[in-house]
Amino acid sequence: MSIEAIGITKRFGLFTALEGVNLEIPSGELVALLGPSGSGKTTLLRIIAGLEYADAGTVRFDGHDISDRSVRERQVGFVFQHYALFRHMTVFENIAFGLRVRPRKFRPSEAKIRAKVQELLKLIQLENLAGRFPSQLSGGQRQRVALARALAVEPSVLLLDEPFGALDAKVRQELRRWLRQLHDEIHITSVFVTHDQEEALELANRVVVMNQGRIEQVGNPDEVYNYPATPFVYNFLGNVNLFHGRVDDGKTYIHERETGHLVYVRPHLLDIARQPNGGDHFRARIKHINSAGPLVKVEAVTEWGALVHVELSQDRFRNLALLKDEAVFVIPRDVKVFEVPSQAKTA
Amino acid sequence: MAGSITLRAGRRAAAHRAARATLEAAWVRWTLIAVAIGFLGLFLFMPLAVVFISALSKGLGAYLASFREPDAVAAIKLTLLTAAIAVPLNLIFGVAAAWAIAKFDFAGKSLLVTLIDLPFSVSPVVSGLIYVLIFGLQGLLGPWLREHDIKIIFAVPGIVLATIFVTFPFVARELIPLIQAQGNEEEEAALTLGAGGWQTFFRVTLPNVKWGLLYGVIICNARAMGEFGAVSVVSGHIRGLTNTMPLHIEILYNEYQYVPAFAVASLLALLALVTLVVKSVVEWKSQERIEEPQANWGMEPA
Repeated sequence: MSIEAIGITKRFGLFTALEGVNLEIPSGELVALLGPSGSGKTTLLRIIAGLEYADAGTVRFDGHDISDRSVRERQVGFVFQHYALFRHMTVFENIAFGLRVRPRKFRPSEAKIRAKVQELLKLIQLENLAGRFPSQLSGGQRQRVALARALAVEPSVLLLDEPFGALDAKVRQELRRWLRQLHDEIHITSVFVTHDQEEALELANRVVVMNQGRIEQVGNPDEVYNYPATPFVYNFLGNVNLFHGRVDDGKTYIHERETGHLVYVRPHLLDIARQPNGGDHFRARIKHINSAGPLVKVEAVTEWGALVHVELSQDRFRNLALLKDEAVFVIPRDVKVFEVPSQAKTA
Repeated sequence: MAGSITLRAGRRAAAHRAARATLEAAWVRWTLIAVAIGFLGLFLFMPLAVVFISALSKGLGAYLASFREPDAVAAIKLTLLTAAIAVPLNLIFGVAAAWAIAKFDFAGKSLLVTLIDLPFSVSPVVSGLIYVLIFGLQGLLGPWLREHDIKIIFAVPGIVLATIFVTFPFVARELIPLIQAQGNEEEEAALTLGAGGWQTFFRVTLPNVKWGLLYGVIICNARAMGEFGAVSVVSGHIRGLTNTMPLHIEILYNEYQYVPAFAVASLLALLALVTLVVKSVVEWKSQERIEEPQANWGMEPA
């Protein structure tokens, strides 16, 4: 089912959570709403679910306006950050809940409910834990039960609010891969909220970057990462070095003071050399080297006193044999220049 | 061998040092314990013992005879009736108020919270007087009630009303923090799964607060049966008609009928003891629910 949000505005007292947000999600996609806390991403998700009502704007499922429909009638699967499993019910009863509360006319027989729950338990690979209570499960297991519970009612869309936010890094990785697989199997239109750019880029077909109640950019992971539309997106997706600069005759000059343009360079798009090599470069002195991990992270101070982060491959680093306090040349391979916006957003 | 013994001895010495560092001197500890036990004995155990000793001072026969007296039977019946009406009503009110206060924001919410506490802060005698001023013969509704031949003051309805007023904070007070702490998420989850309001309440909210609710009901019941002040004002002390157990005890005592007075008192004391035991069990049960083992059973390969 496709989802459309048109002109959604939501205020909580004086705080504007969403300001005229328009979003279209085609059927069967796996979409990430990505943004810092307070960007309105969770509010948008809750408005789509019907757990919150917009002050203005409409929500459409498959072209039908459902803004006035209650959360019950929308038939969405919703997964909460802190699982929200029913504490006093077993895993089995948690999953069966959505089927058991149906009006008698639409309620499946006990045998059918059992079969459905068994099928879902198999899907989440927790068949042997059906009799456990939520407090006896690990975080990752609880979140999978929450997902099974949401899927039991065969929702038309699946909405996930920071689904992996409360889990540790390794379990998060596993669940991400598993959710991706699940989506490939059942192709349900899914929207998840996250503040983790890595999670959004890895999991989603389409990333919606949000900031201060507005959408900054919508695109596939490659687009938003490599072709950021705004300084905010560039800043938010991955590490970045920010310089002031000016553009003259199509050439970018980096300056030490504010000159009307912002120059962004990702750390891995900077190189270090001992010779200027004729190309673009600036001088810097190496301050700190962290060689643990796939990339070597070098911190250097530029000739005008700013801090610059450079990421080198381990090979490159070994070839250079850099030392602390060494004077070097920093060579930008690619830069992104934005005009200074009226109110500079520097994160 | 020798090495391991030295090690153990060393460890014990270390434990001893740690204990000394974190404990008060022996005489301080023992003095504090003695004071606490002395206080408890003097003000709690002794009166309780006196109640039972006095009740049984003329033998078991006299003790049991006190309960066969018609006025005593009437008082016990009235007390049970009052509790049977007041407790369920306050249960419904308490749950409704706690739900409204914990789950919704509305104008006048803080006023409602303050009003719920009113019976705690007002003297029971004043609570009783309020009802006399409203329903009494010279009261606000007095003439109208007399015209329609409805008796509230110096009759059973007045006693029930006064008891409801005095006991109404107990359930709500117990539930508000509990429901607040549990948040809305489970209810929201139930709604997204298609459950209606009542289904959500009975299947999700209520099971989560049942021990707290039971605790509130027990305390509410204990107070409803034991209430003296407010009931005394509105009852009129008509023997066999408007005397509850506490009022009956007072009358017997004032008439120097010590054995029957203490016999009925022992019944109330027994109720208190039973309440304490049930309360402890409930507390222990609800504690157990909160502290269920947070076991981590490991992830199966995903």
